[in-house]
Amino acid sequence: MRRDFHVHWLLLPATALVAAPAAATTYFTVEQAQQQLLPGQALAPVAVTLTPAQAEAIEKASGVRVRDKTLKVWRAANGGWFYLDQVLGKHEFITYALALDAQGAVTGVEILDYRETYGGAVRNPKWRAQFTGKKYGAPLKLDADIVNLSGATLSSAHITDGVRRLLATHALVVAPTH
Amino acid sequence: MRVERARPLLGTVVAVRVEGAAGWIDDAVARAFDAVSQVQRRMSFHDPDSELSRLNRAAVQAPQAMSASTWRVLRAALALARASDGLFDPAIGGRLVAWQQLPAPDSADVDPAATWRDVELGHDCRVRFRKPLWLDLGGIAKGYAVDRAVAVLRASGMRGGVVNAGGDLRVFGDALEVVHVREPNDPARSRPLLHLRDGAVATSAGYFSTRDGRSALVDTCGNGSLGHDVSATVCAPRALWADALTKVVLADADAAVPLLRRLHAQAALLDGAGAPRILPV
Repeated sequence: MRRDFHVHWLLLPATALVAAPAAATTYFTVEQAQQQLLPGQALAPVAVTLTPAQAEAIEKASGVRVRDKTLKVWRAANGGWFYLDQVLGKHEFITYALALDAQGAVTGVEILDYRETYGGAVRNPKWRAQFTGKKYGAPLKLDADIVNLSGATLSSAHITDGVRRLLATHALVVAPTH
Repeated sequence: MRVERARPLLGTVVAVRVEGAAGWIDDAVARAFDAVSQVQRRMSFHDPDSELSRLNRAAVQAPQAMSASTWRVLRAALALARASDGLFDPAIGGRLVAWQQLPAPDSADVDPAATWRDVELGHDCRVRFRKPLWLDLGGIAKGYAVDRAVAVLRASGMRGGVVNAGGDLRVFGDALEVVHVREPNDPARSRPLLHLRDGAVATSAGYFSTRDGRSALVDTCGNGSLGHDVSATVCAPRALWADALTKVVLADADAAVPLLRRLHAQAALLDGAGAPRILPV
């Protein structure tokens, strides 16, 4: 493998560079993620809006704040489940999907859309709204030219928290076991 | 055909972008993620059920067996600890727990004086600690996981691609890829730093891990932490060495030069003030 290893440094002084905003990538549309996580399954959307009491119970059980009371959840023909969710970190905004089997066990997590930004745009609801709903199908080209970014590791703790919140939502509200 | 996927693994986002024949490519990507998951299951400090957590609980009482892959990573970590005279030290788990950079395992306390010298590695995939300590492979296992994923993609006949584990990345195939790095004092912004073909690059800096004034990068020679307003980027044929060497370069750039040479690696120190400092000169 060493025979082709090749590095060429770009030694421009920082003042000569126009620093670009950080990474953004769309990996899946919602339909592609459904096909990937629950292949061949017919999926039916399930309408669930959390009551304030339910949201509070989920927050208590998971230790994670519930931002959005309208769930995006689908039921598969084989009894499995597909959740679409978004998490907001300090630097990043991530759309991901969680698949559960009929017993509520995690069968997969896939990231649909990952973006970082600067100047606080990620916290602006209007900016975030452009990535929701039907626009998943149209990959955005905001700053997609930066494809390889090396840097200190950005934590995925927000996704882990999001999955914990969805599992509590599933167990307490969507498919409670009696 | 080209496929791009990302999953939360290794405590970060692991992204795979690969070119290969349709019909094979999805399976290859799935197996690459499986390889990364296996490294996580074995070497995670956060997971109390990982092989590493079992070693940390029990290796001070009796020699403990482990998988060949954990043994390989631990052997590499200890070799670099010896060669760098402890600038890189996998026995720093206790300090990172005390700094709340890692969760506290539920085993007995560690000896604060313990170092890599107290880790006795056998040739039979066994390890024993001479003092109670917590190994943390967080400074090297991510690179190893990237190498494993690339090996799986290659073995699956993929033409080329990139595996990026939250900033530790490796490129394979014919393409010359531009790699950007974050500005150490403004990490939301980045700049192009290098062109890379068939090799790995990793960057260490404190910008995302600093809490209470301390980053997750331990200064093994003192009481403080490293990587404040400075980043170290290392290119090497393998991601394992690129990942681990960033810590040595941050700790002591001059001491790192012979190691960089020996491992066919190069480094850039970036402090935001001007052009990067390239090593070896």
